[in-house]
Formats: sequence, structure tokens, C-alpha cells
Amino acid sequence: MSKPLYELVDALPTSGLTVSLLRGLDFVVPGQWQNLVGFENTIRTVTGETDQQLIQQIGERAITLYNDPSQGYQRAVWLFQTANSAGGLIGAAAMADKLSQNFSFLSFLDKLTPKADKAQTIDLVLKITVELVAFCQINGIPGDSIGDFVAALADYGNESLMRMAALTCVDALVPLGPDFIQQVDHVVSNLVPADLDSHPVFSRISGYLPGGDSLGKVAFIGDTFQSVKGWMGDFVSSRNLTPQSILGNVRQFIDVTDDKLDYFAAFLDMSTNYFEHTGIQTVARRLTERAVAEI
Amino acid sequence: MVRIMRFVSLCLPLAFLISCGGSQPPSRWEKVQQDTTNPQKQEINKPIVPPKAGGTLNDFFPKSADGYDVTPSQEKAGFAEYKLKKGGKEMAMLAISDATAGNPAAMEKFKQSSKSIGGFPAVEQGSTATALLVNGRYQVKVLSRSPEFTPADRAAWLQKFDLTGLAALK
Repeated sequence: MSKPLYELVDALPTSGLTVSLLRGLDFVVPGQWQNLVGFENTIRTVTGETDQQLIQQIGERAITLYNDPSQGYQRAVWLFQTANSAGGLIGAAAMADKLSQNFSFLSFLDKLTPKADKAQTIDLVLKITVELVAFCQINGIPGDSIGDFVAALADYGNESLMRMAALTCVDALVPLGPDFIQQVDHVVSNLVPADLDSHPVFSRISGYLPGGDSLGKVAFIGDTFQSVKGWMGDFVSSRNLTPQSILGNVRQFIDVTDDKLDYFAAFLDMSTNYFEHTGIQTVARRLTERAVAEI
Repeated sequence: MVRIMRFVSLCLPLAFLISCGGSQPPSRWEKVQQDTTNPQKQEINKPIVPPKAGGTLNDFFPKSADGYDVTPSQEKAGFAEYKLKKGGKEMAMLAISDATAGNPAAMEKFKQSSKSIGGFPAVEQGSTATALLVNGRYQVKVLSRSPEFTPADRAAWLQKFDLTGLAALK
């Protein structure tokens, strides 16, 4: 049994690198994200109710729904946590790759670690896919409903919008540069099951991906990116986002001494867990919204 | 040896104090956590009636009109919820839940109801919600998400649902 819902929400931090990163990204989606922590506080904030008896009823209903595996909320949290768990590993691989480019004596590492951009791209498309699958779990629609997900993206708000904003900035624009969509397109169109089979996140989540065999799942990941890339491109261009503007703003909250964007991205990748943090906040909000409507 | 005994006799009460002081009072959520993770109790609490698919409930929601946008939020077995927005601002949530299958306790509050909306028993709940019960089974609820959205607005929007259609849903 994983941690109870109320413990997960109560344990969300109010400071630290993840929270600082998300505060640094507020300029991308102004006012959308408040660091909503604490189970009772979430119920109060989401519903606007203050009566303790009512809060108790809402909380109990939310916990009941969360603990029913058929409802999908618990799986959504697990997916957010799992997608984040590769962060350190990918970060380390990217760092080793960059070192191997700078120091010839480390060039043998090329044989052991994927190219940084490819590793970063796989990490990115897996996170996008997890976002889609978790969305389907939370909203109770079939896991291959790419169309429903893309339509819902337009209506994303709060923690969910911040998560997609952070994904676009930290996992795409900063490490891969302004033409990240073309780059990811290129990598994704050449993906083969062997690229993913040994990936720690893919191997854990593949059972929840539609598509049948590995080839079908690779195709599903590709289709997901194809459908979301338009949203990501508009998101970046409508806000005039650049890797430098993101670095500049996040620097106000995190002391980054190095100007090298790829190191900056690798550092964030290794040291933050924004995906899990905002994922738990999304699930807690959705459960509260449903619980208050059902009591 | 005497020294060790003295040390132990000093430490034991200290350890006891620390362990007592360190223990947290039980969480207010612990009981429901235990009840809903206990397989035997889960079996007892299983719904007798299978819940209606969320998609079935979608048909009875109001449509966007008069500057208000009705957009889907959640759709689960026995539950569907929509956001009600005006100029991009969230004004209210609209929900239908199959209470018989999901949370039968929710129907209790309608027994004392002296109010009716659209011919169905209705209650005000807390400071943000108005609910009514259709056919003794489906709870229809409107929840304010902005102070501008008043109880009168909630009552008006409850009547925009296709309540007659929902009452005919077997």
C-alpha cells in the first residue's frame, strides 16, 4: 500500500529547489500556481468551505475514492511519481555525456550513455505520455483518448498548467533549444523499441500504455507527441519564451552560477521533482472537487 | 557495574519521556483510511447497484449559454462534473452523481428537506453548494466557486439541467 492521500499532501514541501523552480516559472503562467499544500488546507482552498464537519465529510469521501483502485487516482499519483523517478538517472547520463564531449579521456562513456539530447528527448516524450495517461486515469476516459487530452489542454489551469509549463520549459526548451519541436520530431520518428525497452520509466509504465506490443507503444508515444507539439509550440511563441528568459527568471529563485543551459537543465533534472509535486496537487484538487460534489 | 546501572536508570525514564512526547495524536483521517483499505470492510461497502457510466450522465447537463461556458471536468463511473465559466473565470461547478451506487449516505440530508427546486427535494449544503435529489437516486449539485455566484444563481442553474430526462433514467 502506498502512502495515504492525506500524508502525501501534508508532506508536500513549502520550500526547497522544486518550489523555487516553480516560483521562478510563475512568469510563464502568471498567478496560475499557488503552492497548495496540506490536506485540510487543500479542501478549504478548493471548496471555500470552513465548517469542520463538512471538511471532515469531504476529506473522508476523497480518501475513500483515492483508496479505491478502480477509480484511477492512486494510479495517477504513481504515474507522476514514476515519471519523475528517472530524473536523477537521466540527469547523470546527460552530465556524463557532456563531460565526455569536453574531456577526451571520458569519450568511452559514449558507449555507455545515450547522447544527451536523445536521452533528454526520450525523457520528455515519456513525461508527455505519462501526463496523457494520468489525465485519462483522473478523468475516467480510455487511455488512448489523445483527442480528449488535447482538447482538455486548452482548459488546463492551476497545478496542471504549471506542470505542462515546467515540462515545456525545463524538459524541452532549455535543454533542447528553441527548435526543440523539430529535434524531438526527428528523434521520435526514428525511435525503435530497443531505445525504450531498457529505459527505467518506460519499463515501469509500459503496462499502462495502449498499443499492444513495444512497437505499438512506441507508435503511441509518437502519436502523443504529434498531437501535443502544436500546443507546446504555441505556448512558447505566444509567451515569447527563450531558454535565456527562463534561466534569467529562475535565477532569481535558484542560485545558478553556470550559464551553460544544458548543465542548468541537467542540474534541474537531478535536483527537482516538479512533476510529482504538481501531480499530487492535481490529484488532490480533482479528488476534492469530486468529493464535495458527492457528499 | 554500578555506574552502568546508574546510567541505565537515568536513561530509561528519559527514553520513555522522549517516546511519549514524540508520539503524534492520531490523524483525523486515520479511521477512514483504515476502513477503506481493509478488504473485509471494502467488501461490505461495495455498491449494491452498479453505477451509471459517467458518459450517460453527460446528456443531462446544461449547455453553454448567455456568456457562460460549460466545459467538461471529470467523468467517472457514477459521476460527471463540469466547470461553469464566464469570461474565462471559474464561477461554479456542476455535478451529477449516482448516489445509490457511489455514496448512499449523501441521500440522508434530503429526508429533512423542506425545500424543492423544479419539483425535486433540495438542500443548501455548507456555504457554497445547493443540491437536489432526482428519482431518489441522482444527486444534482451546483457549487459556487466565486462569491459573485449566489444561492439564487445556483438554484437557477439547477433548473437548467434536464431534470425530467434524468428522472426517466433507469
